[in-house]
Parts: sequence; C-alpha cells; structure tokens
Amino acid sequence: MKVELLSHTPSDDLLASLPASEIAESEFLSHLSFTFAIEGVSRACSHQLVRHRVASFSQQSQRYIQIKKLQDHIVTPPAVAEKAGDEFKSFIEEASGVYSRLVIEGVPKEDARFVLPNAIETSLLMTMDGRSLMYFLGLRLCNRAQWEIREMAVEILQQVREVEPVFYREAGPYCVQLGKCPEGRFSCGKMAKMKTKYCGD
Amino acid sequence: MNLRLLASTPALETIIATAMLTTTSGAAPSNLFHRLSANPDKVAEVIGRLEVQHGSILEHNRLNWFLEASEGEVLRILLTNRFFTFTRLGSNRWLISANLRTVLESQAMGGDFARLLLESISGVAPSIYNFVRRIR
Repeated sequence: MKVELLSHTPSDDLLASLPASEIAESEFLSHLSFTFAIEGVSRACSHQLVRHRVASFSQQSQRYIQIKKLQDHIVTPPAVAEKAGDEFKSFIEEASGVYSRLVIEGVPKEDARFVLPNAIETSLLMTMDGRSLMYFLGLRLCNRAQWEIREMAVEILQQVREVEPVFYREAGPYCVQLGKCPEGRFSCGKMAKMKTKYCGD
Repeated sequence: MNLRLLASTPALETIIATAMLTTTSGAAPSNLFHRLSANPDKVAEVIGRLEVQHGSILEHNRLNWFLEASEGEVLRILLTNRFFTFTRLGSNRWLISANLRTVLESQAMGGDFARLLLESISGVAPSIYNFVRRIR
C-alpha cells in the first residue's frame, strides 16, 4: 500500500487572506481539502472507503484496464497467509485463468471482471474536505476498523499532520477525539493507550 | 454582490488531469501526477478531452471565496446548488467554498454570481476557464 498527499488547501493561505473573524475550528476545516493518491489496496478496502460519501473518488476502472497477471496484483490478508495460504493462492490462480480465458474468448472486460476477487489491487485518487477527513480518521483509526483501511488511515493522519499540525494535533480514533469510546459493549477498552499512541503523553 | 477568490487547491488542473488518466490507465496515480507536473502541455492536452469525461473528476479540489451578498442572494445560491459550503463572517459577509464541478454546474443558474464565479477561476484553472467560455 502506498498513500501520498498530492495536494491540499493550506490553511495559512486561507487564514492570511480572510478578514479577521471568529470561525469555529470544525467549521473552518470544512473549507479545506486534501487530495491523496492511494495505491495497491484491495477492492475490499476501496469498497469501505467509498462509503465515506462526502468525498470524491477517481478509481482505476476494470472496464478499461485489463488485468494481465492477477497473481501479481493481489492483497493477501495476514490471517489468510497464515492459515490458508495455499488454498488462497490456488483460488487466485484459478480466477486468473478464468478471467484471461474470458477475455481471450471475446467477453468484454466489463463482464470478464465479474470473476475477479475482492483481493485484487486497485489505485485511486481521493479528495476529502478537512471536516470529513476528521470523521474518517475517527472511524477508521479505531481498533475495531478493518486492518487494511486502518493502515491507510494511519498513513493519512501522518501526512496530514505534516502539513496541518495544528488542526490535526488531536486527531485520532473517536475515543481520542471525544474522550469516550462510542463503540459501547464492543469497545476494545484501550482508550488510554490510544490517546498515548495518537497524541503522546 | 462582490466575490473574491481567496485560495484554491494548488496544481488544480494537474490533479484533474491525473484523475482523468487514473480511471483508464494502469499507471499509479502518484506517478501520473509527478509526470504531469513536469509537463504542462500534456496537462492542457488531457484537459482538452474534458467533455467526454465524468463530472466527478472535477471534484478533486476546493476553491475558497470571500463573498459580500445579502441573505436573500445567499439563500438563492443555496437553493440552486447544495454543494456550496457557507460560513457567516459578519453582516452580508461570507466565506464560501466549493469544488470546480459545483462552479461549472452553477453556470446554469446565470446571473452575477455565476459570472463572478467563472471569472474567478481564470487564473487557477485557465484551460477549464477557456473551455467553458468556448462552449458558452
């Protein structure tokens, strides 16, 4: 997985050109935007990502891009590699073969892709406003988030803090942002640890 | 009514060209972006193919304006296009922001606001500005 912040609205530029006014931080954040290149994540991960609706996505299209060798474009979850690596590998090889045969037989790529698994890699451009990004981080940095999108969220937070250290100094999972865990009985119970991890001592 | 562009996403047209190529090319978006950043002619050429693309590729940016307008004028804008973000700064003074897709779609409403919006992007998105002027 690779995440790169390609462009963002620098808050300094905006604040410097604004007439002196009091604006709540959360409201100001909604006027900022961040554009990321997100590469080499699974379609399972991108499906979760696009559920954040207040954002824009431009994703590699399987209608236009033909997968040459599926085995080289797969994300393997650690648990699968550990417990059923061979079974997973043979399924991917089978899916790869079927996909290639369908394309060779003249099935359009947009239909041949129906046999492709969720594990296939994808890349996309994502743009989010600063407020939605805070919401995204709150949900996806949580210990209960799926491992791949959580890894992505960690990368995103790191890069956003480099360019906007003040606004994102207290960003983190919701337990860190709110001072209480909203997961109820599903809480991991590690709030203090999370606070230290994301905001230091 | 008075509208002044305060800030915008840097490399706005390069990002849009990157979004256009990302959907149909197997290349990594970050590589596309860096290659395009070094080749403004290619950016203009890709942007020139804009009409056949989906509007969503115009959303990878944000523009911020200072607007002086009455509440009635602001209400009209909000009722016409719900994708503007407004913050009240004072009496008849507003901070507003939106992406380029919203700017272009707002042209349909006509009037002063649409004209000022379009004029405000001439410096930050010259190819798209010229494209819109041409098709009008």
